[in-house]
Amino acid sequence: MVYTDRTREGHPTLDTGPDDADLLARVRGGDRDAYAELVHRHAPVALRTAALLGAGGDTEDVVQEAFVKAYASLDRFRPGAPFRPWLLKIVANETRNLHRAAGRRAAREQRSWALAERLLLARADDPAEATLSQERQEALVRGLARLSPPHRQVVTCRYLLDLDEAESAAVLGWPRGTVKSRLHRALARLRDVLDADAGRVQAREAAHDG
Amino acid sequence: MAEHGYDDLERDLAALGRAVDVPAPGPGLATAVLERLSDAPGARVSPGWPRRRLVALAVGAVLLALLATPPVRAAVADWFGFGGVRVERGDAPAPTADPTPPTVAPGASLQEAAAMVAFTVAVPEELGDPDGVEVSPDRRIVSMSWTTDEEGVLRLDQFDASLDFSVLKTAPDVFYAAVNGTDALWFEEPHEVALLEPDGTTVIHSARLAGHTLIWQEGGVTLRLEGDVELSRAVAIAESAVPVD
Repeated sequence: MVYTDRTREGHPTLDTGPDDADLLARVRGGDRDAYAELVHRHAPVALRTAALLGAGGDTEDVVQEAFVKAYASLDRFRPGAPFRPWLLKIVANETRNLHRAAGRRAAREQRSWALAERLLLARADDPAEATLSQERQEALVRGLARLSPPHRQVVTCRYLLDLDEAESAAVLGWPRGTVKSRLHRALARLRDVLDADAGRVQAREAAHDG
Repeated sequence: MAEHGYDDLERDLAALGRAVDVPAPGPGLATAVLERLSDAPGARVSPGWPRRRLVALAVGAVLLALLATPPVRAAVADWFGFGGVRVERGDAPAPTADPTPPTVAPGASLQEAAAMVAFTVAVPEELGDPDGVEVSPDRRIVSMSWTTDEEGVLRLDQFDASLDFSVLKTAPDVFYAAVNGTDALWFEEPHEVALLEPDGTTVIHSARLAGHTLIWQEGGVTLRLEGDVELSRAVAIAESAVPVD
């Protein structure tokens, strides 16, 4: 499933409708239909972001809340700035707030990951759609589970959600330099973890054969 | 980028992400959002309906109750929690000159402070490097301050939002605000602020009067900005906060 409805400056899609800045100008002028258009346009990535950050069964509620809050604080949105990272930052905050009652930070992060993990382990109904083998998929998810929460979060944003660096920085609330350095370390660590994991699987198979 | 055996890691991660099946937005989403919008963009949110809205309404209702309660009523039930902060309704303190937040003496660096605590320490880019940074002896609270000609002393305290209660505020008046689209509290009038023991109950120390204060949460951390600034400036500072790496 590939979303083609993202319109980024310099990367026009086949959608030749107005860009976000035009829509936002109309929203500021009181045109509510223009906001509905923004909701349609950005709902898919907002839902994916909430789901992979661990919103679970509350994913739609989180996204609805984020769009309402984004509208309510449009007066502080800098005209000309891209809408998507700003929206996704609100989505990420709302998702975190879901787990506020779960207690300590570690417990909250554990809950978020448990919900995201379930999604990542699901298999497509149609096996022809799967581009990853089940073994590879499960190994990747096992590897992600062993990363520290910040490393897992940055990999989730950049690769699983396919956000760019600025968007990832907005979602995570980190400076761009931090996104870059943590991503680099996270990938190195994930490679190590996966290599070790593959070694263990091989050893186990060898033991079975012997 | 591949340095190890796993060449296709980035490609496989992208494939893993694409394979995630998140339900497409229902047709009702835009309608539901539109029904909840206030009349003008930038205005506060109008009351809505889904589950999550009820939480915000409950907080709003408590705030209204706080404002409406006559001062003679026992204050026992008149409190609510917000990310480690316990807010109690209290009478306005005797009028004094606007309280100035205590400055933090230069000591630790930001990086040292960040390494000493279990939560992510943030610093507002609007304010630059602080003049002083310190970590409380129990490592619960990181404090920093800035002294400028234009804005006087600004002080920022931060702690893990999941703590039961760290800070007690007794205030006559509390307002609802938003930082990065999430709920925040704004104290306009001078009010009492005190630190609580980790068990959140009895022992109060370092009680003092505080002026304008904004309290918000970011990534599981509660931040408290105090100083002689307007709400809009406080929000701008709050929204510029980035973690210390």
